[in-house]
Amino acid sequence: MRQSTSESLTAWLFLAPALCVLGAFGLFPIGYALFVSLHDWRIRRGALLGLRHYRRALGEPEALLWFVLGCLLIVVVARLRGSRLLHRLSLGRCQRRAALALLLGLGLWLALVPGLRGLCATGDPRLYNGLRVTALYALATIPVQLSLSMLLAYLLLMSLRAKGFFRVVLFLPYVTPVIASAVVFRSIFSPDPASLANRLWTWCGFGQLRWLYESRSVVALLLRAAGMQAWPVWIDTFFPSLALTSIVVYNIWVYIGYDTVILLAGLSAIPRHYYEAAQIDGASAWQSFRHITLPLVSPTLFFLSMVAVIGTFRAFNHIYIMRTAGARDSVDVLSVTIFDVLFENHNAGYAAALAFVLFAVILALTALQNRVVGKRVFYGD
Amino acid sequence: MATRPAGRRWRRAAVYAGLSLWAAVSSFPFLWMLLSSFMTRGETLRRALWPERVQWGNYAEAWREASFGLYFRNSLVIAAVQVGGTLLFSLLAAYPLARLRFRGRELVFGCVLATLMIPESVTMVPNFLTVTWLHRATPIAWLNSWPALTVPFMVSAFSIFLLRQFMRSQPSELWDAARIDGAGHLRFLFQIQLPLCRAPLLTVGMFSFIGSWNALAWPLLVTNTPDWRPISVGLQQFVSEAGAEVHLQTAGACIATVPVLVAYFLLQREFTEGISMAGLKG
Repeated sequence: MRQSTSESLTAWLFLAPALCVLGAFGLFPIGYALFVSLHDWRIRRGALLGLRHYRRALGEPEALLWFVLGCLLIVVVARLRGSRLLHRLSLGRCQRRAALALLLGLGLWLALVPGLRGLCATGDPRLYNGLRVTALYALATIPVQLSLSMLLAYLLLMSLRAKGFFRVVLFLPYVTPVIASAVVFRSIFSPDPASLANRLWTWCGFGQLRWLYESRSVVALLLRAAGMQAWPVWIDTFFPSLALTSIVVYNIWVYIGYDTVILLAGLSAIPRHYYEAAQIDGASAWQSFRHITLPLVSPTLFFLSMVAVIGTFRAFNHIYIMRTAGARDSVDVLSVTIFDVLFENHNAGYAAALAFVLFAVILALTALQNRVVGKRVFYGD
Repeated sequence: MATRPAGRRWRRAAVYAGLSLWAAVSSFPFLWMLLSSFMTRGETLRRALWPERVQWGNYAEAWREASFGLYFRNSLVIAAVQVGGTLLFSLLAAYPLARLRFRGRELVFGCVLATLMIPESVTMVPNFLTVTWLHRATPIAWLNSWPALTVPFMVSAFSIFLLRQFMRSQPSELWDAARIDGAGHLRFLFQIQLPLCRAPLLTVGMFSFIGSWNALAWPLLVTNTPDWRPISVGLQQFVSEAGAEVHLQTAGACIATVPVLVAYFLLQREFTEGISMAGLKG
């Protein structure tokens, strides 16, 4: 079929408005943001700074170099593991493994010790704190959220009546305006002795807590409850604070309905006779879940985990509403920090540079997730 | 095998118990919000569970004195403009990407999808500068007005993608028949394609509506007077300024929730189906 000129003219005319808006506010900003990030840019454009914003954000270039080298080494090891190249070398199996393990260890060491540690010591603490909080937030949210919604989707699938009713109710938190529900949760998790969270907690027989105002980590609070007086600093660094945990609870409450609805669609698509066949073969409920359900919904689970990872990196509204003066450092994810730099410090140049760092991290994570988890997803025979 | 029906009954009871538990958890905050909005200030401070007398006055006070009425109106106008624009532009853009043949189609579609990857934090800074520049350089007032609040969000890659996928799944004989009857592309799109795209259009519209209603960071940046401030910003500022007025906060939150819930209850079937479809397509 030939391409008629009138057809392509129509096509471009139809596309024009969307492409104008998307170009001006979707694609052009990437180049413009890069341009802005290279300048001293407060209200108006100032002097050209080159990479100085990135230097200030990330830290010593030397440490960055070590970090990148270490990461590259890890990638190389991961690639070498399955390749032929290694087999050509006349090494025994054990030797090969030992060599790979050695290289992997070296890569990890390079990336972490001279790399990440140097970066954290010389870079902007707000950036690294933001990344740390974002990582904790994602790690605390996603597994719980996905397994709970898997359970709920399974229950919904098994329920015969009132499926529609439960679906509507489960979905409510997702459609409620974030601002409204976050205001409600802010009140629920307030440090007030009569707040709902404190009432529930004391009813369970524990002492009052400061919830959204508590910057101590959950583990530290547990240790204190167990009677310990002092604990190492890393316990507060590597575990989410109680304030962040409260926000995690909110996040799970909001997104569980969305995940459940999508998982339910995935579960309903599995043909019934697979289960019947498994039952005839004498499979237990767990076995049919493990060997039929899980592989067949793995694409959906993978999709949801990708959405959730990107979502936690973009999270802004509810954190902005629920953060409190006392626990800011322990809940400010990077996107909130970037907004502060723009909105409160009016430093557009630096905000753009931080945003690019965030973008790079998201891209790297998505690629990693695609390679590592994506391989295990079962897309059918 | 005599125990089997009993076992099944137990299992069914467990299923409904689990579901009801979560239904309670997910609707409880609403209930609490609604009840608190009817309490007196003293009752909210005592954290009473039930208002002694329903205080309708809270709503009047929130509506007038905390200017939630104005913010509510602003949010409605902003949402209407944004949803209308999104539906029109996405429909127009999805059609050629799904059905027409022209050079560069795959490239355009690739560019559209690429914008999905870019986080808002990256586009926020340059878009703010762009809008400020447009405000200065064009006769239209962008800042503190509806254009800055709506135009940047009128096209979303996601809605174009969803509509295109849907249009592609339909038989091409539709267009052949319409052409024989003498219809052009525009007429075909609006008279035949549009009614068929009801479900995905409703999904896209609902997403756009929720997105517009939830927007917080962007409106904070581009409005500094109450004239065009949406309800999200109004509520956020009210909460951060007047800490203890829970009865007014929750009344404001209830006001902010009503339109979304109404839209959701009207459209919930199409919306949940649209979401499941989008999720399965990955």
